[in-house]
Amino acid sequence: MRSRRDLLKSAVLGGGAGVVAATALGSLGPEAAFATTAPAIEPGTPDPNFAEGRIRSIKENTLLVLGSNMVFHTIRVVDGTSLWKLGPVGFDQAKPGDGLYARGVRMPDGMLAAEAVWLNIVNIKGHIKNITSQTIHLDHNGHEVLCHVVAGKSVAIHSESPATSDLSMLKVSQHVQILGAWRPDTNEVDIATVFSPH
Amino acid sequence: MSRSTSPDPPADLLGPVQGEVSWFCCGTAWGPCSSTGKGACGTCNSGSMQHAWPNTSDACWAITRPDSCGVGLSRRTCGFRHRTTALCSGVSVVTAIADCGPQTDLFCGERSCCGATCADNRLIDLTPAAYSQIASLSTGLRPCEISAA
Repeated sequence: MRSRRDLLKSAVLGGGAGVVAATALGSLGPEAAFATTAPAIEPGTPDPNFAEGRIRSIKENTLLVLGSNMVFHTIRVVDGTSLWKLGPVGFDQAKPGDGLYARGVRMPDGMLAAEAVWLNIVNIKGHIKNITSQTIHLDHNGHEVLCHVVAGKSVAIHSESPATSDLSMLKVSQHVQILGAWRPDTNEVDIATVFSPH
Repeated sequence: MSRSTSPDPPADLLGPVQGEVSWFCCGTAWGPCSSTGKGACGTCNSGSMQHAWPNTSDACWAITRPDSCGVGLSRRTCGFRHRTTALCSGVSVVTAIADCGPQTDLFCGERSCCGATCADNRLIDLTPAAYSQIASLSTGLRPCEISAA
């Protein structure tokens, strides 16, 4: 079975829109990075093949990201890169101001060739303070987060039961985990999944 | 008074234990995570290969209380290494303890499955850097196996 890394490598070598030509980067190109096996990361230390931060600008297929620790990251999106923003999306959905986590392969020049980019993804736990048909008010570590139900996107998973778009089983004061997409510079989140223990 | 870890032998003492794994952010961060600190060990960062464990101290255990879900877990302190294996993919990652959590008691009896493979109760939280090595962040919660590394 081919690994995702193999598929990405093929995508890079295959060229196409959004892929920088190998000849432009020589041995520093993403194809070279994907061809190598990532070394094991020392537990407890930063993973060089991972990045977090907010998008400052977008130039062609490259995201310029300022990490929350004030370290800049240059993240290249290639044909095989998966992007998530409340669900699978295209590269055109990445916007300046979006927060992100990205995993890929760090190239010798410091650029991250991305296998996956999760835009604005949050995974927060808290208890429900109020609930309507369209919103959940979540108390997350003493801060209120307004979570929006998005038609066709939001689902609830009650323990091992299949995901359901019916969120009516959720109750005030119940503790839940909400996976969703943050609305930048607000305390609001669009709901992808509500995990409920019962 | 010092609280003992559990009246029963810790489930992870003699071998791997199965449970649920999720992910959490810590350290400098954006969005709702921006109010999160560096965790109980003072070293936690979303981009590092770290995890939260429910029994890092008496004070930690008093919050997480996995024993209320019938699970005893060994006392492991900051820097201890666990291997977490995703039961869906078989992929594993080794991380070091950087925080206290998850709050197991609030999700008692919860079950995650991959097809017919299931695991009960939240026993470990990984940083985004670590979780994304074994599953997509968009999965949010997965069944796993945990062992000392």
